Parts: sequence; C-alpha cells; structure tokens
Amino acid sequence: MKEELFVSGRNIPNIDPYLNIWHWQIPSYLFLGGLAAGILFFAAVFTILGKEHKMATAVKIAPMIVPFALILGLFFLFLDLKHKLYFWQLYTTIRLESPMGWGSWVLMIMTPISIIWSASYVREIFPNWDWKFKFLKDFEAWVIKNRILIAWPMAIYAVILGIYTGILLSAFNARPLWNTSILGPLFLVSGMSTGAAVVLLLSKDHKERKIMGRIDILLILIEIFFIIHLFMGFKAGSEASINAANLFLGGSFTGPFFAFVVLLGLIFPAILEILELKGYKVPVIVPAALILIGGLIFRFLIVEAGQITKYLY
Amino acid sequence: MNKIKFDGSFYLNPYLGGVILGTVLLLSFYISGRGLGASGAVKNSVAATVNVIAPEHVAKSAYYSQFAGGDNQPMSNWLIFEVLGVLAGAFLSGIIFNRLKLKVEHSPKITSRRRLFFALLGGLIFGFGSQLARGCTSGAALSGMAVLSYGGYITMIAIFGTAFVTAWIFRKNWI
Repeated sequence: MKEELFVSGRNIPNIDPYLNIWHWQIPSYLFLGGLAAGILFFAAVFTILGKEHKMATAVKIAPMIVPFALILGLFFLFLDLKHKLYFWQLYTTIRLESPMGWGSWVLMIMTPISIIWSASYVREIFPNWDWKFKFLKDFEAWVIKNRILIAWPMAIYAVILGIYTGILLSAFNARPLWNTSILGPLFLVSGMSTGAAVVLLLSKDHKERKIMGRIDILLILIEIFFIIHLFMGFKAGSEASINAANLFLGGSFTGPFFAFVVLLGLIFPAILEILELKGYKVPVIVPAALILIGGLIFRFLIVEAGQITKYLY
Repeated sequence: MNKIKFDGSFYLNPYLGGVILGTVLLLSFYISGRGLGASGAVKNSVAATVNVIAPEHVAKSAYYSQFAGGDNQPMSNWLIFEVLGVLAGAFLSGIIFNRLKLKVEHSPKITSRRRLFFALLGGLIFGFGSQLARGCTSGAALSGMAVLSYGGYITMIAIFGTAFVTAWIFRKNWI
C-alpha cells in the first residue's frame, strides 16, 4: 500500500517515512556501552566507599572486561559509519547540543580511564605480570595511590555514559518511540543491571554475590517502573506516541518484548535472585545470562521499533 | 497428600497435577486463544532453521512451506513462547523443590549412554508420528480432547495404546 507516500509526497528511501539505517551495530554498541558504564560505576562506587576488598570482583576483575567491551562497541560504531575515514572529525569540535558529540567525548575520556583502571589491577590478579619499563611502573604506583581520585570522575562519567546510550536515541525528535526523556534513565538502569549481572557471573565470593544480587533486584524493579512509565507517557501523549506504544502493546513487537525483555529478562531473573537470597540453590549463570540477553534484546527492539515509528498520517 | 519436603524427594500428587494442568490449559485458551503444545514449537524451530540454511528447499517442500518461507513467521508463534515458559517454570520448580542438577535419569541396570540413545530414538519416532497426527500428546491429545475434537481422542487412544505395547517390549530398559 503506497497511499501514504502518494498523499504525503514524502518518500526519501531509508529515511522518510521510515528510518532504515541502523542495524545490528547500534544496539550492540548501546548494549556494550551500557554494560561498561554499569561495571565501571560499581567499581568506582565501591572504591569510594572503601569496599574494594569486600567487593573484589566488582572493583578489580569485572572492569578488565570494560576496555574490550568499549573497543568492540566503538568498532561496531565505526562499521556503521558511511564515511569511515572521517570519524576523527567528531573530535575537532565540542557541541553541547549534539548527543553524538557528548558520546564521542565521554568515550574519549572513559576508554583510557577504563584501561588505566584495569591495568593498575593486572599485577594483583596476575602476580607474574611485569610492566617492563620504569615509567609504567611509576605510573602504576601513582594510580594505585590515587585510586579514589580516579574513581570520582569514573563514577560520574559512567553515569553520563549510561544516560547517553539512551539520549542518543531520544534526541531523534522525528521518531516518537525514541523521543522521550525517560529513555536516558531507563538505559542507564538497564546498563547498570547488566553490569551487575557480569559481576554476579564472575564473582566466586558468596557475600559479594549476595550484595550484587540485592542491588540487581533493586535495579530490575526500577527498570520495570521506568518501562511502565515509558508506556504510560506514550499513552497519555499524542496520536503518534500512542501508535508508537501500540507496537509494544498488541503490535508486532509485543511478543518478543514481553517474553524476552519483561518476563525472561527482568521478572524471571529477579524471582531467581530473590529465591537465591532466600537460601535456595540457584545456578548464578542462569539469572545473569538472562539479564544480559534481555538487555541486548531490549536494545535491539527499541532501535528496530523506533525506526518505524513516525509522525506521518 | 504427602507433606511438602524440600530435599528433592517431593512430587506433587498426580491427580492434583492433572487438575492443575487442566486449569493451565483452560487459561491458555482464555489468554492466547490457543491450547498447549510442544511438538509445534520444535517443528517451527526446525522449519525456521531450514529456512535460514536452505530457503529454496523450504519453498519447494510441501511440508515446510506451510510453516516457513514467504509471509510465514515460524518463530513469532504462541507455541514458541509457551515452550520457553515451560522451561522457565520447570527450572523454577526444580529450584524450589531442590532437584536442580545435571543428570541422566535411568534404571540402575542400564548405562547413561543406552538411556540417551533410546531417548533420542524414541524422540525421533515420536516427532515423526506427531507430524503425521498433526500434533503430539499436548497439542493433539490434551488440547484436542479439551475442545472435544474427534482426532484428539483417536490420537490419545493411539498414543497410549501403542505405549502399553512398546513399554512391555522395552521393559528391560527400566526394570
């Protein structure tokens, strides 16, 4: 049916009325970015609170994944670019009104911090490691001495990074599903929850897992609250917003969204984690893996569905 | 009724279990408009997989082209979601009643390998049969009989009648 195109006269292939330019690279990157933000946030906060020995996995081991996750995520972004060799031009300007500008600069700060942070724990985790050069050893000694000084900007920038993964979408005012300010906090909380899941997955310390499990249950509850409010906001909005919400409330995304994100990605792992806190034996890999898969599918669905929502009728 | 114990030995009274299953079936009709099923989910997964690997074969095959290829969306199906729910529910019940571990349940007189071989063989034959009958114990017999489908009763009688005979032939695997 092409009436829509005939009547409106709007037909820019892949852009208007439907966007068809963002594929697997973007949601994968958003997932990795949120994951990295979550892990670094917990590492920084537990360091600031002086709990780096109690929460060893969260502070020392999990952050080692982050540089790889960020670099892989940035590589996905690079793959998405049409003019790949001009990516560096993002760094020739600072524009506070540009979410991509925010993202590139936040990543420019976060990636080196995450590398320095994990490098400063390498010798503690792998005692045979040798930094070879004196200046590296001196630098490591300085970092170890000033961890709290690094942890503060790391915590703050982790929050910015987590929110930015949502803001990147919500800045699109032509796409009703994305154009809501709740997407920033929602992606932040979801990223933190996936970060907590990674810590749960890696940690062998029973006490640490208990604390992370509690935090994760809280994050899941907040995330469900945000998702409910996301749809409440749409339902109370314009016809375009209502149509955007209806994609998930009876439309073609309903099944995958409620099955994989809400039920298997949030509620079911939360039940498993509550059972574990109650003393039942739960293989931790199951809730953690479900949260990670749910988070990934959530971003795929939002990116995919957002592109087909529109203001044209 | 047995007292509920959490040491892995507790099983629900089968009659009560049957009533609960019937209630689930009723709810399934009420919520989704469709009954319960199991083989359908496997069938759709197979059809979707074949459609990814060999789409020309799906287009040509009278059987696969009913479920995959063209406008069909085999993975966007109630049964797929239902079976995921079955897995999640079973997992939860395993945790609560402390029965969750990786093991092969078999008679002490046979090896795990023999048990797995016969399970696979039986599964293959049952899968084939379920497609001839247009449904398995859940889809054809349980859901079919619930809506008073004639085919459902015949399937039920055939499945359990054959099971009585084959169980006797293969009884050495269990006793």
